[in-house]
Amino acid sequence: MSPIDPRLHEALDGERDPGELPADLREAYARLISATHLVSGTPRLSVAARVMTEIRQNPAPAQTGGPLRRSIRWLGRPVTVRLRPAWTLALAAGLAAILLLPLGPGGLTPGVTEGVAKFVGHFPGARSVEVVGSFNDWSRGALALNDDDHDGIWHADAVLPAGQHEYMFVVDGERWVPDPLAGRYVDDGFGDGQQNSVLIVRPAAAQP
Amino acid sequence: MMVRLALVLGLAAAPLVAQNGNTRLAGRVPPAALPAIDSIIATAVAESLPTEPLVQKALEGSAKHVPADRLVNGVRRGLLQLRAARVIVARAVPGQAPPEGHVAAVSAALARGLPAPIVERLLTVAPNEPPGPALHAAADLIAHRFDPDSAADLLVDAHNKGLRDGRLLDVAVAADHELQRGGGRTPSEALAHVRAMLPNVPLPKRP
Repeated sequence: MSPIDPRLHEALDGERDPGELPADLREAYARLISATHLVSGTPRLSVAARVMTEIRQNPAPAQTGGPLRRSIRWLGRPVTVRLRPAWTLALAAGLAAILLLPLGPGGLTPGVTEGVAKFVGHFPGARSVEVVGSFNDWSRGALALNDDDHDGIWHADAVLPAGQHEYMFVVDGERWVPDPLAGRYVDDGFGDGQQNSVLIVRPAAAQP
Repeated sequence: MMVRLALVLGLAAAPLVAQNGNTRLAGRVPPAALPAIDSIIATAVAESLPTEPLVQKALEGSAKHVPADRLVNGVRRGLLQLRAARVIVARAVPGQAPPEGHVAAVSAALARGLPAPIVERLLTVAPNEPPGPALHAAADLIAHRFDPDSAADLLVDAHNKGLRDGRLLDVAVAADHELQRGGGRTPSEALAHVRAMLPNVPLPKRP
């Protein structure tokens, strides 16, 4: 049941002349018509649209400060990144591959014509051990061995060019010692009977 | 005009660049030894021999603080070994200029004590392949008391059955393992055992 008088309803629908209405209904009719004008004069906007309108009407204050300040502000500003699920999955798979795929010993990744050499020596009580050889032009300080757990076993991994290399350990910066685990030795040719260790590095590509 | 000038400057600079590893030796080799070593390296350049083994020997001796006279002798011995190596390579690989890589590899094998006839035989089997692995495999076998000729026979067999490069080193490792296995196995029995398993010698362990 309509709460509006049917005659008023008919007048609002244009089916009855408002002048024929009784005085009280004519007054109600006039109020309703004026209210209708008020509503039709206001654009119907969503909340989001009203907010955006508000923002546009009140722009952010001009940024001040130097380039450094602006950069810092830019870094701190939240950014919305839109990604397709397929791309997100591909990105996740790539990161997983980087994290999970095996690398060479110690995380070394040799090139096609390189291989990984592992140096190990038992030098209890040594303060330092390094490897010096043809792969580093016999330069001191280029490849140090480590004994992090102080058990006297020193070790280092290095990516070296494939092929033959001669080398020696230098213990405590002064004592030249052939690698007892090398298995291959060659006279160093300087006439004092000292032997270099011989290392044959296989290219990583040829490794099983 | 500019192109011609650049060409002339390039040609003039080439001998300086090619001269040798002088720049690598300066400041590292004792001044007393440097002129003699420069002269030895210049001789190697003139004879088209590889100079890198000589530069390395000079750097090695300097790092070890070898006295100047012994340092020079060590580098000179290297030159003589390179000459001997080139003769072997020229005989084994006739009809072409001895490749520097072959000469350097043969020189290193001679330094390890590999007999020249064994070197020549192995080079003849695979003249166009890098000879280093086969030569080192032979030197490994001989160092482990195998007969040089029998060792060479085994490596030639391995090559004929398709093993190349590092796999030839695996043959030497397999022979040594067979010898170490005990049970009174003689070196010739160990070689025969490995020959029977060719080409399926065990793969090396990863480093």
